[in-house]
Amino acid sequence: MKKLLTVCLIIALAVPALVFAQGSGEAKSQEIVLKWPSFWVGADTKAAPITELVNQFNEAHAGSIKVEIEENPDTDGYRDKLNAQIAAGIVPDIFILNVDPTTLQFFEGDLLMDFTEDLKGDWGNGFLDGTLNAVTVDKQTKAIPYEMAYTPIWYNTAILKAAGVDKIPETMDEFWAMCDAVKAAGYIPTVQMTGGTNAWTSMIWYSHLCAALGGPDVWQKDFATDPVFVQAAELLNRMYQDGNTSKDAIGAGPGDAGGHYLAGEAAAFSNGPWYIARVKNEAPAVYDATEIATAPGINYSGAQTGYLLSALAAANTTDPARRAAVVEFMKWMTTGENAKTVSEAAGSILAVKADITSTDKIQTQFFQEVADASFVVETFSAKFPVDVVAEFGQALAKMAQGKATPEQFVAQIASVM
Amino acid sequence: MIKTKSQIAIDIIAKVGKWLFIAFFLFMTLVPIIWLIITSFKSNFEYETEPLGLPKVWQWSNYAKALSMSGLPRLFLNSVIVAVCTTALNLIVSAMGGFALARENFKAREGILSLLLAGVLIPIIAFMVPYFSIATKLKLYDSLLILIIVYAAINIPVSLFLIYGFMSDIPKELEEAAVIDGCSFSQRFTRVVFPLTKPGLVTAGTLVFIYCWNEFTYAMLLTSSVKSRTLQLGIRFFKGQFVVDYTSMLAAIVLTMIPTIFVYIFLHDKIISGMTAGAVKG
Amino acid sequence: MRNKNWKQICLFLLPALLLYAVFFIYPLFYVFITSFTQWNGIGSMKFIGFKNFTDLFANETFRISLKNNFIWSFALGFIQIPLATIMALVLARKPKGWKVYRTVFFLPNVISQVALAMMWTAIYNADGGILNSLLAAVGLESLTRNWLGDMGTALGAVIVQQLFYIGYFMVVILASRMGIPESYYEAAEIDGANVWQQEIHISLPNILPILITSVTLAMAYGMRHFESTFLMTNGGPAHATSVLGIMLYQNLGALKYGVGNAIGATLIVLGGVLIMTIRWLLNKKSQKMMG
Repeated sequence: MKKLLTVCLIIALAVPALVFAQGSGEAKSQEIVLKWPSFWVGADTKAAPITELVNQFNEAHAGSIKVEIEENPDTDGYRDKLNAQIAAGIVPDIFILNVDPTTLQFFEGDLLMDFTEDLKGDWGNGFLDGTLNAVTVDKQTKAIPYEMAYTPIWYNTAILKAAGVDKIPETMDEFWAMCDAVKAAGYIPTVQMTGGTNAWTSMIWYSHLCAALGGPDVWQKDFATDPVFVQAAELLNRMYQDGNTSKDAIGAGPGDAGGHYLAGEAAAFSNGPWYIARVKNEAPAVYDATEIATAPGINYSGAQTGYLLSALAAANTTDPARRAAVVEFMKWMTTGENAKTVSEAAGSILAVKADITSTDKIQTQFFQEVADASFVVETFSAKFPVDVVAEFGQALAKMAQGKATPEQFVAQIASVM
Repeated sequence: MIKTKSQIAIDIIAKVGKWLFIAFFLFMTLVPIIWLIITSFKSNFEYETEPLGLPKVWQWSNYAKALSMSGLPRLFLNSVIVAVCTTALNLIVSAMGGFALARENFKAREGILSLLLAGVLIPIIAFMVPYFSIATKLKLYDSLLILIIVYAAINIPVSLFLIYGFMSDIPKELEEAAVIDGCSFSQRFTRVVFPLTKPGLVTAGTLVFIYCWNEFTYAMLLTSSVKSRTLQLGIRFFKGQFVVDYTSMLAAIVLTMIPTIFVYIFLHDKIISGMTAGAVKG
Repeated sequence: MRNKNWKQICLFLLPALLLYAVFFIYPLFYVFITSFTQWNGIGSMKFIGFKNFTDLFANETFRISLKNNFIWSFALGFIQIPLATIMALVLARKPKGWKVYRTVFFLPNVISQVALAMMWTAIYNADGGILNSLLAAVGLESLTRNWLGDMGTALGAVIVQQLFYIGYFMVVILASRMGIPESYYEAAEIDGANVWQQEIHISLPNILPILITSVTLAMAYGMRHFESTFLMTNGGPAHATSVLGIMLYQNLGALKYGVGNAIGATLIVLGGVLIMTIRWLLNKKSQKMMG
């Protein structure tokens, strides 16, 4: 017994001892160290180019500034951790902000560094149109736009050909005709899913439909009352009925949804540029057959969906040297040259104007489609807080099973807003 | 005793029933393991398009990728340190508390038990913010020590509760005899109750160990560098923002499972069977 | 009357209570206090009294979740534990290969839930999943469905897969059962008691404290259940499988700390009441049983 008690005592004494040992061990030096918890690590396609950029930055500022990447794989875990840190009042030196109405709340108070003044010169002109607006609340820009997401419709033209459809549908009538032809040929017309955190693929379809019905300002309309959102729901619901999607669509997650497209079973799919590499590596035949397009037009045509996916933000500081160091780093990350490097190496589209020459067929089409789009509308997930987006999938599952009408679908989502 | 026909029939049914019961659960538990191992050799394409099929080509490269996980030896060492220290700390603390609660009668007893019970109910994700505050206030953020303390504390309700249950099992007479022999309070613990509850302690310890080995949320929250991170974070390196390398992740899961299985087989089985062989002679 | 050993009792309880105070009581205060506020984790908290709670009880998803938590609790406590008990009693009689079974049954607890969820999602899948293929193979085509996508079957599907993993409690109960001296059974054998009688009159009364502990723990796990549902359905379809843990997680993710923590507080209080009641009933019953 005495032994056990001794062990406990040792532990009880050792804990504070270790605390003090750590506390006094902090060396003071002139070098400014900026810690950057990042999920662009591990298997992420941007891991290598970004690490390289950080190393170059550190070399150029040896002795004065050092940026340390803290590897935080798993975006959901990253988000949870960031929320907890901020609620505890501790903001990381530099971090990745997934831009949506939920995270924009971090702009309240003075937790984050305000870049409004710094961006007024040439630096601010280097960003794509509208991206600075996405990270500006009450005229204060507290994050630097970084990566874009564009989510066009992907068509497997081999399936269309097999079904006797010779061109990508441009109107809804053509679209439903395409669905019938594809079904008759034994394929799945569209990929849909209600699962995951945001019913991703279906949420994108819905955003396309809303844009085609409501035009460039569709999200300015009142979600609860404007008929556009019910009409879009009716169309989305039809994509779930009569074999217009796979049998497992209700409840399916991103893995199941992507699988149908990769397997060459499904004609129309939707996802961002990050999916190109997967299709290319795992399903070369599907890659060859893929064509990128806008969704069929209704009241408006040629709309594309896209939004500012992520931005770089930093903790506010009263130390001018530290502030200057952060700004210096942000500028480095968003030079046209460096954006080009990351974009070309990772297949992503950055929020920085850059002269990118893509060697990839689908990526080239992405750029072309975005440039040719009559207008670009954000997706539902970028426009609404995360709990509303979560409700979207739940309400969709209900509607798709015939347990709710499109009106009730819209009402259920609106009830969470 | 001569068995009647109906008794023989019952015996046969019981025997068949018993083996069917065992066989059913063997099937239900072996299927996931076999699936996991097979799938860890598939390509992502095969997993996504035919999650239940066999791989066409066995992808040893998944294991190569899992093994090339950055900082693997360090992560492994950290996992071992955290799991071992946590288990030790948790068991000492819980056994002492459990002893006082199970073998003594006092006013606050029921109150303390209920309080601890509430601890079992707590959805631990609700504590992310306070735990992060505690870690930074103690200046223990990004250290192995904070993981050890937090894991040991989180497991107190379950361990203490289990150990309490095991300690309540021991007949009062044994202790009474020891008191007559002149055993003090702490000697009753070390000489009588502690040895008799070793199966319970080992069981609770196994559960704590496995918890530590598989825990992700707090490992992520409370650490930031490879010096204080555990294997579970390594596994997540295969999970990108939009694209997951499922099968390499499964290969990493298989690799990280192996040590726990050994811990279970050797520690648990050997200790428990060793003990029960010479256990209580009532 | 004060226990004469009170000093030692305090000393023995101290380490556990100290850790408990820092890592449970203090955070509990935080949970309960914030549950009466509107707070996004950034600005200052705004006290709004019981509004979060009244809103919750008016919320349909919350009611579904609460009901599902009770279903989970009872399923784990009164289906999984009996199964685990039977298995423990069977294995304690050392049938051929029992040590292997003991290890194998425990293995699912070692596998990460992520992998288990991936597998079960594939088994239940409507498009080429094993379950539908099996049903179709034995001519029950009419029963095939989208198990996790159908609002009527999703909850059952998620619960059933979890019920099979009896290893955790089997190990606990087995450890208690193995502590019973062989001599008890030898004596009963001589008295002519058959296996059933031995199990009922010797095993059960002796493992009763652990059984009650196990039922309590299992029910508590049912109340705070989160992981496999989160991974398999995320509470869907149409909230059919939602549980309080998922609602809590989603509200924290949406920076609605007040609502989230009100869910946590409700879970702890209602779960506490449920489990105390069950414990009280079981204890009463067991006292009767023990004589």
